[in-house]
Amino acid sequence: MNLYAHLSELPDAEATAFRTLVAHLRSLPQREPSPLLTARILAAVAAERTHHPTLSAQRPTRTPNPGPGTQDPGTPPPRLWRWVAAAAGLLVAVTLFNRQAAPVSIDDDPVAWLAARQEADGSWLPARHGGDPAYRPALTALAALALAHDPSARFHDGVRRACDALAALQTPDGAFGGEGRVRAYNQVLATCALAALAPQDGPAAAALERAVAYSSAGQSPEGGWDYEPDSAGNAAVTAWQVRALSAAAARGVAQANVPLRKGLRWLRSAARDEGGVSYHPGAPGRSEGLAALAAHTLMTSGKPFDGLPALGRRLVAGLRAADGGADCYRDYAMVMAFESAGEIARAEAVRQDMRRRLQANAPDPWEPIGGALYTRAFTALAARQ
Amino acid sequence: MEGAPIEQMDDADLMLRVCDQDDEAAFALLVSRHQRSLLNFFARSGVQYDSEDLVQQTFLRLYRYRQRYQATAKFTTFLFLLARQVWIDELRRRQRRQRLAESLAAEPYEEFAAPADSSAGVAGDLDLARALAALPEGLRQVVELAVYQGLPYAEVAAILGIPVGTVKSRMFNALAKLRALLGEERGDKP
Repeated sequence: MNLYAHLSELPDAEATAFRTLVAHLRSLPQREPSPLLTARILAAVAAERTHHPTLSAQRPTRTPNPGPGTQDPGTPPPRLWRWVAAAAGLLVAVTLFNRQAAPVSIDDDPVAWLAARQEADGSWLPARHGGDPAYRPALTALAALALAHDPSARFHDGVRRACDALAALQTPDGAFGGEGRVRAYNQVLATCALAALAPQDGPAAAALERAVAYSSAGQSPEGGWDYEPDSAGNAAVTAWQVRALSAAAARGVAQANVPLRKGLRWLRSAARDEGGVSYHPGAPGRSEGLAALAAHTLMTSGKPFDGLPALGRRLVAGLRAADGGADCYRDYAMVMAFESAGEIARAEAVRQDMRRRLQANAPDPWEPIGGALYTRAFTALAARQ
Repeated sequence: MEGAPIEQMDDADLMLRVCDQDDEAAFALLVSRHQRSLLNFFARSGVQYDSEDLVQQTFLRLYRYRQRYQATAKFTTFLFLLARQVWIDELRRRQRRQRLAESLAAEPYEEFAAPADSSAGVAGDLDLARALAALPEGLRQVVELAVYQGLPYAEVAAILGIPVGTVKSRMFNALAKLRALLGEERGDKP
């Protein structure tokens, strides 16, 4: 039986009304896949083969009801045995070669952990690691910055591929997808990464120019940025925008200069005399993470402007100790702020807490958003070079 | 089908090539044939901007669990079983995010908070698409599979794990509810 056979069983009037309704349902516009979707899927499958070459030999731990006509897997195909043999051979070779080396878990090295999880197309997929897929550009940018932060050059190729991936994820208007706050954070973090990491020429450099133009167009008349319409700005998004524009201006993107100055002026106005930073102009409340982020931004992006580094140091002096709960975003901002103010011991104390929490696998309040990519990227970015 | 060009093979034969020979070209053809229907399957579920990620996850699972497929089963039954499981997992993730967003609502600042519920849609009149998204999940999935994917009721029943009679009753209830929702919108009811 199908739908129309079912409808023909109904009284005439009802059947006619339902047929009309079904026709209307079928006439709703359909979405078309993006041109790169097939390539993305095949790249993800290729990455799966690379990371899990014995996958098809495993019994899945959780599968849908196979339903009628499906069966358990039989003997793995011959090609799989070649993968298994190759992987086993490699494992034996590496084990013998490194026999004297102290065992180091990849989970203790957040940068290596991230590098091992980069997709074939150069991006990182938050959904694979417990995060929200909508933040793919933002998490790709954070992971790329973390790879570049490593003092060795061992991840140079991964950084280059991440820049290419960010360029590919950009939409023609210069944004990086999503709506509201998703769009805002995808934009600022991708722009930060491209400004810091993109080569001087090529698709990633062109993507940076478009991203800066998009950021500039989205600035409020007051100089801030927000994800709410008709807002003068919020301090968190504005601080990230200022960091991105500062990095872009430093590498010679001229169109970043004017919005950067306006953004700094807005951020300065958000600092309160009694300490702390207002999320929205004049709003009460206090967030140590926000104050630290703003302080770091003012100290590192505001050098050409009188008084901004001093204002940043004043904000740092007023920062309160963390309450002990895990929050890698806040801790990263605190480390950056303390480092910028030259308070090395305070920075190191926060770092130690971050490492301890990572090793203890402590839950972070932002994990449902960014997953393990988020916590490891911020821990790596906060590490001392 | 040994001698037929790969482009002319049906889905079951392509899937057998994927299972037996790990044939990338066959897998790419399956992706090409079914990505649009999967994309709209997720989009009509209320997913706005990450439907393509869910399509990707579905095909990844198809590759992962390829040895579970048997040629006597219809390929679309197997594929939508996987898609439904991906959607259920996504709903669970959304519930976790919703709980997080609720807990953060009490905080003074939201610096990296969860996106607003995309299923809420934009302000404005209830239209057909929104009425469809407003259906209870059990009813909406029957409409999705029988109306949009054009699957026979026996296949819908296999995917959802319910008897054919339940498919019939859910379809009737779904269409009746859609009519009621649209009638309310047009002001047919007081």
